[in-house]
Amino acid sequence: MQRERPILVLIIVVVIAAIAAIATIPVPLGLDLRGGSQLTIALQKTPELQRDFNEQDLEAVKKVVEGRINGLGVSEPIIQTIGKDKILVQLPGVNDPKQAERVLGGVAQLEFKKQKQNTETPLQALYASRAQLKAKQAELRNSKDEGEIAKNQEAIQKNNQAIAELFESSNPPLSGKFLTDAGANPTQTSKTWEVGIRFDQKGGELFAELSKNLAGTGRSIGIFLDNELISAPTVGLEYAAAGIAGGGASITGGFTAQGANELAVQLRGGSLPVPVQIVENRTVGATLGKDSIQSSIYAGLGGLSLVLIFMVFYYRLPGVIADISLIIYAILSWASFALLGITLTLPGIAGFILSIGMAVDANVLIFERTREELRAGKSLYRSVESGFYRAFSSILDSNVTTWIACAALFWLGSGLVKGFALTLALGVAVSMFTAITCSRTFMFLAIKINSLKKVEYFCPNLLKTTDKSGVPQ
Amino acid sequence: MKLSINKSRGLWWGISSAVIIVGLISMIISWQNPQIQAPLRPGLDFIGGTRLQLVRDCNKPGNCDKPIDINIVRQVAQEQGLADSSIQLLADEKGQENGVSIRSKTLAVDERTKLEAALAEKIGVFDPQKNQNDTVGPTLGKELFTSGLLALVISFIGITLYMAVRFQWDYALFAIVALFHDILITTGFFSIIGLLFGVEVDSLFIVALLTITGFSVNDTVVIYDRIRENTQKNPNLSFYDSVDNAVNETLTRSINTTLTVLLTLGAIFLFGGSTLHNFALALIVGFAMGAYSSIFIASTLLAWWRSRGINVSRTTTETTV
Repeated sequence: MQRERPILVLIIVVVIAAIAAIATIPVPLGLDLRGGSQLTIALQKTPELQRDFNEQDLEAVKKVVEGRINGLGVSEPIIQTIGKDKILVQLPGVNDPKQAERVLGGVAQLEFKKQKQNTETPLQALYASRAQLKAKQAELRNSKDEGEIAKNQEAIQKNNQAIAELFESSNPPLSGKFLTDAGANPTQTSKTWEVGIRFDQKGGELFAELSKNLAGTGRSIGIFLDNELISAPTVGLEYAAAGIAGGGASITGGFTAQGANELAVQLRGGSLPVPVQIVENRTVGATLGKDSIQSSIYAGLGGLSLVLIFMVFYYRLPGVIADISLIIYAILSWASFALLGITLTLPGIAGFILSIGMAVDANVLIFERTREELRAGKSLYRSVESGFYRAFSSILDSNVTTWIACAALFWLGSGLVKGFALTLALGVAVSMFTAITCSRTFMFLAIKINSLKKVEYFCPNLLKTTDKSGVPQ
Repeated sequence: MKLSINKSRGLWWGISSAVIIVGLISMIISWQNPQIQAPLRPGLDFIGGTRLQLVRDCNKPGNCDKPIDINIVRQVAQEQGLADSSIQLLADEKGQENGVSIRSKTLAVDERTKLEAALAEKIGVFDPQKNQNDTVGPTLGKELFTSGLLALVISFIGITLYMAVRFQWDYALFAIVALFHDILITTGFFSIIGLLFGVEVDSLFIVALLTITGFSVNDTVVIYDRIRENTQKNPNLSFYDSVDNAVNETLTRSINTTLTVLLTLGAIFLFGGSTLHNFALALIVGFAMGAYSSIFIASTLLAWWRSRGINVSRTTTETTV
């Protein structure tokens, strides 16, 4: 009892902690279970871009995509980059991503425009109301009131439109294709940041012209991405003679490092002549998702209870112990999903259910070995001990091979496949812990209780089998 | 009762070869089939396309009064230039066919919207909460396929290396032979049901194959572990006997483990979400094969190989084989 007690305490503490984790941290559901739309966007090669895409390109395009998706007013969109040339957009609760699909296609439109004369006051007013609307939108997204979000989004669109009307294109328009680079740099004098931009030769000339016209007037250069004003710098009086010449300029204005970087990425995204295409669209209606989670969970629970019953029926007392550790196993794996923030998908549930199979296997290996040792005439204690000892190498080998398969899946698989690999691999890891620690501790505790110390609880037909085959050596 | 697997190994090898050959023949027939042109019927994950599942909203009065006429759906598809789409009616939980599933070439958003609108007009308003749409572009499909295949190859290599380190290279080799056996039979099975019932394979099928890989080797490892232990414990026993003993000693474990896994898989197959239906089926076939091949293929092959080089005087006890 002395050796097992601290481990027993540890197990109880871990289980309580796991239950607390399950209760406090919900496991997020994938879109296939809660309903929603998942779009994969791939960057398309064009003749103008004579090189492979790199991470910076992808970040820049992601920024453009984010801008467009935010313009839709979907609550909690998730936008991630995958590999070198793909972006994954998840839109929870969207049953038909028509709108998203329409806005996502096409090349980003970046343009440097000129503010019209005598529009300073209306611009200030529109600015102020835009800030209010955006703050309200952020608040609404938390409330998930779809109707209000849509209404507010419309107001933002109107505001954008009104702002855009205060600006006019230069002639010819200074579009993003003339921009060669944009980057955030710290300013020399203070702790703020600025955004440096660089044009090609033609763009430099157009920019000099544009800045000359606006220098000292108090009117600003309007930088528009997909028709939304992202920055409106003014030009100092000192440039009134020749404009900002040389093709380079910097936008200052007390940026933080993050703010400057964000603008720089937006500018780069707008300057890339990269069209995007939706290469995958997986949409599941909310009710449908709910149905499939329900039926899969019922299936899992049904299968699991059959297994639990089988274990008790076949292995008797060890079976009961195995069942307890299986339940602990289920609690611990679920808690590890919650703690690691794993998004649960339908294949993920399948992986979890399968890992229960692996957990059972570890117990079966141990108990079969224990029975063998009992049949060979060893004492109960020795049999249990060597059952665990001898089964260990089989358990380890078989789990490592499953991990190898999971690693390959995780490394190369797509989103859904990754979920499956992760839950299965985690499950197998937890199952090794429960089979070796929990089952073992409970078994040793059980054989120290006199009323449970009966061989027939462990191996029901022991006497019969020894009678038939003679006394084993 | 003691199972002497080595005595009747010719039978086991024969059965397995026959089953594999049937599968291979089916793959060839399927390859020649102009509609499939691949060993297995590829789903849209691999070749691209759109699968649209629409269910009528029966809460609206009068919307579901008339049953859906599949010919009207076909006609609508034809009008949209989608004549070669495959169209099925879907039954809801009450057994009424209020849903329709259309599998077509990759549809852009406007084509899809037009099709949905035309269908809604002809057969009734759909419930957006029950929609399902899977669209995969053809290039992405190819990527999914190659990365899936690559994952399979890499895990094969990884497992071979691990087995070679933990055991010996010939153990590793025959474990992989048994693994190929399981994978070939599972793919053969899906090729046949693809031909007969139009069952398609998707990304989840590759996941299933990888899981089968893990479990199949798992089963083999347990027996090999025992063979190794027996040969060390009792070096005078012939290798055939050591293998026979190992198989018999682990037989209950093999049966019980397979049984419990098949119980859960059976539950997923029968009651789980429809997405998991074929996935569970692939695993059931693969796991059953995995258990079978570990006992009857991997072990007998290893015994045959290890006893092959031994001189005759030591194998005289094995005259029955």
